[in-house]
Amino acid sequence: MEAPHASIRRARPLLGTFVEIAAAGKTVDALEAAVEVAFAAVATVHRRMSFHETDSDVSRLNRGAAAGAVRVHDWTYQVLEAACDLHRRSGGAFDICVATALQRLGLLPEVPALSSPAPRLPSLTTSGERDRAVHAAIELLPEHRVRFAHNAVAIDLGGIAKGFAVDRAVEALRRHDVPDGLVNAGGDLRVFGPLNHVIDIRDPRQPDRPICRITLRNAALASSAGRFDPVHSRDALDCSVIDPATAMPARWTSGASVCAPGCMIADALTKVVMNAGEAAAPILEYHGADALFVSADGRVHMTANWKNEVHLAA
Amino acid sequence: MSDWLRFTLPAVVAAVASPAYAVQYLSIDAAKKLAFPSANRFVENGGLTWKAHAGDRLIGLFVVDHVIGKHLYIDYAVALNPDGRVMRVDILQYRESYGGEVREPGWLAQFVGKTSSSPLKVGSDIRNISGATLSSLHVTEGVKRILATYGSPTR
Repeated sequence: MEAPHASIRRARPLLGTFVEIAAAGKTVDALEAAVEVAFAAVATVHRRMSFHETDSDVSRLNRGAAAGAVRVHDWTYQVLEAACDLHRRSGGAFDICVATALQRLGLLPEVPALSSPAPRLPSLTTSGERDRAVHAAIELLPEHRVRFAHNAVAIDLGGIAKGFAVDRAVEALRRHDVPDGLVNAGGDLRVFGPLNHVIDIRDPRQPDRPICRITLRNAALASSAGRFDPVHSRDALDCSVIDPATAMPARWTSGASVCAPGCMIADALTKVVMNAGEAAAPILEYHGADALFVSADGRVHMTANWKNEVHLAA
Repeated sequence: MSDWLRFTLPAVVAAVASPAYAVQYLSIDAAKKLAFPSANRFVENGGLTWKAHAGDRLIGLFVVDHVIGKHLYIDYAVALNPDGRVMRVDILQYRESYGGEVREPGWLAQFVGKTSSSPLKVGSDIRNISGATLSSLHVTEGVKRILATYGSPTR
């Protein structure tokens, strides 16, 4: 007779990182089946929203949406709606139109259709005008169709799709009546169920060392910092969060973590905090989110109502 | 409007002994069965590869490989169908280490042949970690290597 309260933990390389799913509280067979469906949801997000897959919605949009409306998957449309809203509410600090800046820095591959000389948008210079620029640049039409205003628009959903994938995986686990679980896409994670989950946050300046420990229950936690490749070094690599105002990597914040009810919002808000620092307070509050970030001088800034859940490393 | 608390952290001390981050997800045997649930026989095919059979029928190939870096050890498994297409990739073991024990054969022995019956307590002995985005590039490259070697139809 199989234990009805088993727990399993599985990991697969997806979304350019390691996606880990833990599930507990049913038989092993029931958990394996639920985790399989959850990974399938993540794989769907990967297939639809990857910049690298040539037949993803993102690649189809970047190739063709300037010439005419392109129909996308319901999930892609949901992410684009959220991205445009976040762009507006963050005063431009969150922007999915950073693909060309990422390419210039070698963080995204060149794609022939995108490397033709792109006219710079004069309206991308001030934050007030940026609001209108994205609404003018990305048109969300009925029936999941999307159109770009001109051929200089190129999107990358790398700052939001991982969190969305985590939310879809959690949804799949819950649909299968898994009572307790965790989905972690390379540090963007969400937990659900009655248990507390303890999360260590890597020090953005030295990723092999934890900077603090956070107790999380029924919530999402996402982090942004330099990339980390322990195959080669224990040091963090350059940051791949782009400041839309300068089209260069975020410089004065070395890492940020955001806690929110859902992971898509937490994921996207880390980019806002990386770029805006304490000025992100209104949008954090709007989304019921808390944040901590480390500025380049080593100071930790943390929203005040989060202090009981966060334990800083000695 | 949220208020902010501010702390100053001590400068990074390189000598701090960092905890290793390690998870065993699946044994080789458990991964084989998950990848090929209908298989009743796995025939060794040299190295860490197995042919999966359901009765007389060949249903795929199972390959175990690893990535070893200066501070990282990842053991992963790739399941290919008879056409040589990737069906799934599972991480079997993940370990970030900062002491050099990664290359010790004694440590490798800890998971070779280990069964899936060892219970795994989520959130207690194994910690969750968030922070700098980990690259899975090396596993992706490994899967490409495996496809180059085994990606043609098997007989």
